[in-house]
Amino acid sequence: MAAPSRTERLARINQHAPEHGRTSHVESIAFGPSLKLERFKLENGLEILHLNDPSAPVIAYHTWFRVGSRHEKPGKTGLAHLFEHLMFNEIEGLPPGGFDRKMEAAGADNNASTWLDFTQYQEAFPKSQLGLVAGLEARRMSQLVLQKPQLDSEKEVVANERRFRVEDDVEGSIDELMWKTAFDVHPYHWPTIGWMSDIEGFTTEDCLDFYRTYYSPNNACLIVVGDVSEETLLKKISAAYGVIPASVLPIEDIQPEPRQVAERHVSVEKPTPTEKLSIGYKGPALGDADHMTTSLLVEVLFGGRASRVHKRLVRELSLASDVRASVGPHRDPSLIEIFVSAREGHTAEELLAVVDEELVRAQREPVAQEEIERATARAELGLVSGLETADGKASTIGFYETVLRRPAAAFERLAAMKYVEPGDLLRVARRYLQNSERTTIFVRPQKETAQ
Amino acid sequence: MTSPAAPRARATFDQPIVEVDAAVPLLHVSVAVKAGSLLDPVGKEGTARLLLRLMRRSGDGLSADHAEETIDRLGGHLGGDVNRSTSAFHGGAIARSTERFLDFIEATICRPRFGRAELSQLLDETRAELIERLDDDRSLARSFWVKKVFAGHAYARPTSGTLASITRIGLGDIEELYPKLFTRGAARFAFAGQITREQAQQAAARIADGLGRDVPVTADPADAQGPVGRQLVFVDKPDRTQTQIVIGGMGTLPSDEDHTALHVGNTIFGGTFTARLTQEVRAKRGWSYGAYSSIPFDRRRQTFSMWTFPQASDAAACIRLELELLDRWVERGVTARELAAAKKYLLRSHAFSVDTASKRAGLGLDEELYDLPVGHQSRYLARVQGVSLEQVNAAIGRRISSKNLVVTVLGTHKDIGSAVRESIADLASDEVVPFNQSE
Repeated sequence: MAAPSRTERLARINQHAPEHGRTSHVESIAFGPSLKLERFKLENGLEILHLNDPSAPVIAYHTWFRVGSRHEKPGKTGLAHLFEHLMFNEIEGLPPGGFDRKMEAAGADNNASTWLDFTQYQEAFPKSQLGLVAGLEARRMSQLVLQKPQLDSEKEVVANERRFRVEDDVEGSIDELMWKTAFDVHPYHWPTIGWMSDIEGFTTEDCLDFYRTYYSPNNACLIVVGDVSEETLLKKISAAYGVIPASVLPIEDIQPEPRQVAERHVSVEKPTPTEKLSIGYKGPALGDADHMTTSLLVEVLFGGRASRVHKRLVRELSLASDVRASVGPHRDPSLIEIFVSAREGHTAEELLAVVDEELVRAQREPVAQEEIERATARAELGLVSGLETADGKASTIGFYETVLRRPAAAFERLAAMKYVEPGDLLRVARRYLQNSERTTIFVRPQKETAQ
Repeated sequence: MTSPAAPRARATFDQPIVEVDAAVPLLHVSVAVKAGSLLDPVGKEGTARLLLRLMRRSGDGLSADHAEETIDRLGGHLGGDVNRSTSAFHGGAIARSTERFLDFIEATICRPRFGRAELSQLLDETRAELIERLDDDRSLARSFWVKKVFAGHAYARPTSGTLASITRIGLGDIEELYPKLFTRGAARFAFAGQITREQAQQAAARIADGLGRDVPVTADPADAQGPVGRQLVFVDKPDRTQTQIVIGGMGTLPSDEDHTALHVGNTIFGGTFTARLTQEVRAKRGWSYGAYSSIPFDRRRQTFSMWTFPQASDAAACIRLELELLDRWVERGVTARELAAAKKYLLRSHAFSVDTASKRAGLGLDEELYDLPVGHQSRYLARVQGVSLEQVNAAIGRRISSKNLVVTVLGTHKDIGSAVRESIADLASDEVVPFNQSE
């Protein structure tokens, strides 16, 4: 007898589905040369991306919400991140700490993160535990309990996280200052962890409003990677989430950042032994075709010890100990960030002069094809290394799905890189590396900490 | 539940560890030796680490720039990793570059060309990196703690060296250490990913043939005695809003019959998010974003430590609480209910220790490098399953001391120094050291 078709399998699942749990197949998407993603949608709007990977001994189960710090308002910054912490607290019928105890008993490895454009929760676990995890995740999507004592304690934890990552961390504090200075009106102006005064001021009502607004099935996508059949998975998901109704999501109301027309500069003193230089150019959004090209340019100039700027600043001139750069992978245009740490006795001005020389060179002379090949190979290694585990695959899928709505975009970028030519890099260097659209920060050591 | 890595025979250079997995087009390679920074000449700490870094950039006489470009073009990565008892090159590459990447590793390990100019360049870079580390409060606190816990023992000598020790290292030291560290007898090989067993065996044989001396040179100190009484080291750094606190003393080693029981006991005390330490410090009081305890292992007895990072004004109370929790754990042990939950977690989550070929190969390599019995890793589940409540509590009582330990606090002394001192009952000694003290 022939195996039942997908239509027949879905009909069987839908026969017993709860009120909002009827499931439909949306599309099949190639994920690399040999794997295929299947997209499903529940009646309540919850999307599911399933990658059946028989090689995986565990299941990765990620829940990506399309809410991040970009959805916050001034005075309430850090709420998306604080809320991520609160999601590990009390659920109806499960006391504080109960969620983690059940996850640990299942042998699950779980975590969560929040950034500018998203909040994600992730578990990886032995496949026998799928029903338990789906049930718990569905419950905390709709039955979270928020009480003042837990909120107060978690606010203190987040304040301590901020001290760890920002107040007492030189690079963290410079990074925060960079985005604050480079953006005036767009929400990328404030840090995902939030300003300290905002963290201290949150009330349970703020948190409940946020929960009711953004934590709904039609604002989320589940990514499930592992050795689990479509039917088994969808039955469990429909049963667990199908009881949750969709909610009305607010229309995103974001002011685009006006074009920067003059260079911005800040000089600060920090308790650090050497001078530092941070530069931020306004760069393309992740969905812009220029993003991949600009990323390759940044690899050629700053990626690894064989890059142009590393070779000059660290080896030839012995001016710097560390050189790094990246292109912000965000939904809206953000920053091409460059960070350089000076060696003792050298200044941020010296570093900037050399970086400027190299950037001007990149605007005037085409890079060699071999440099592009080197940068492409590094990017390919980064992508492939991230796909070794079920969890790595789910992270890659979830990120591109949430920011771009293209879950296999990592492979699209890699394929497109193979056609990049030196002229493409010249163009993006001229387009984005404009001094009038950059912010520079010079960091000077405080007297007590200078080496 | 995932099956653990299958038991294997003792690996040698002609029997490398190989975990084939073609699901992802990647190759992983580790070439390790059973000798590490303990072979650094006294006063020249950091020599082994410099040696590996110099090897990485000089195989077959390539220039450093050329070596870096080669690794990148192959879609590869390669790092040298030096610990007290082991040294290793760990690398990987896109599978299409397998043969060329293996050639590169062979040249790196068998045919380095040490030159005065490149060593001088590397020493400058290393000095700059050591200075940059002064920004990393967490690692600073830990390094001062390690130095005090192992005071007078070879384990107190820093693997990465110090600003003073690296200035004493010359080309002769590097040339002298290379043949001692990289010997045929000490070398162990692990391959994983898209590689055949034959390719792996040939690569291991080629590298082994390129190394001299069959008898490994090892340094094998006796176990450290550890601290006596409660000792405080305050690492003074200006303008800290937060502290980095490390508390602990001696722990265990893999050949210790208490090792597995202590591993389970530590899981209950501070190894997970629901562990006692995390619940009391973070969940109930919100004092620290992280609160964990750990028992690392090496060939000789290693440590037990707790790590927290509370706001400066909470530091004294946090230390008092941690010491109370430690006292209670040592004196009263754990409960049957806690043990059952920890076992369930460890048995089920072990799947993540063996879910990729490279992790399985890494476990096999650890078995080799730390002289664990053959099959030690594959019997992990059975060992954890077999641990009884009595064994856990006896192990904690025998191996962990709440009386003999070092408390290291990195913070601003003028703000909280006296409160911290008063928070530690029965303090035997205390000292304040500047955060940028090199030796």
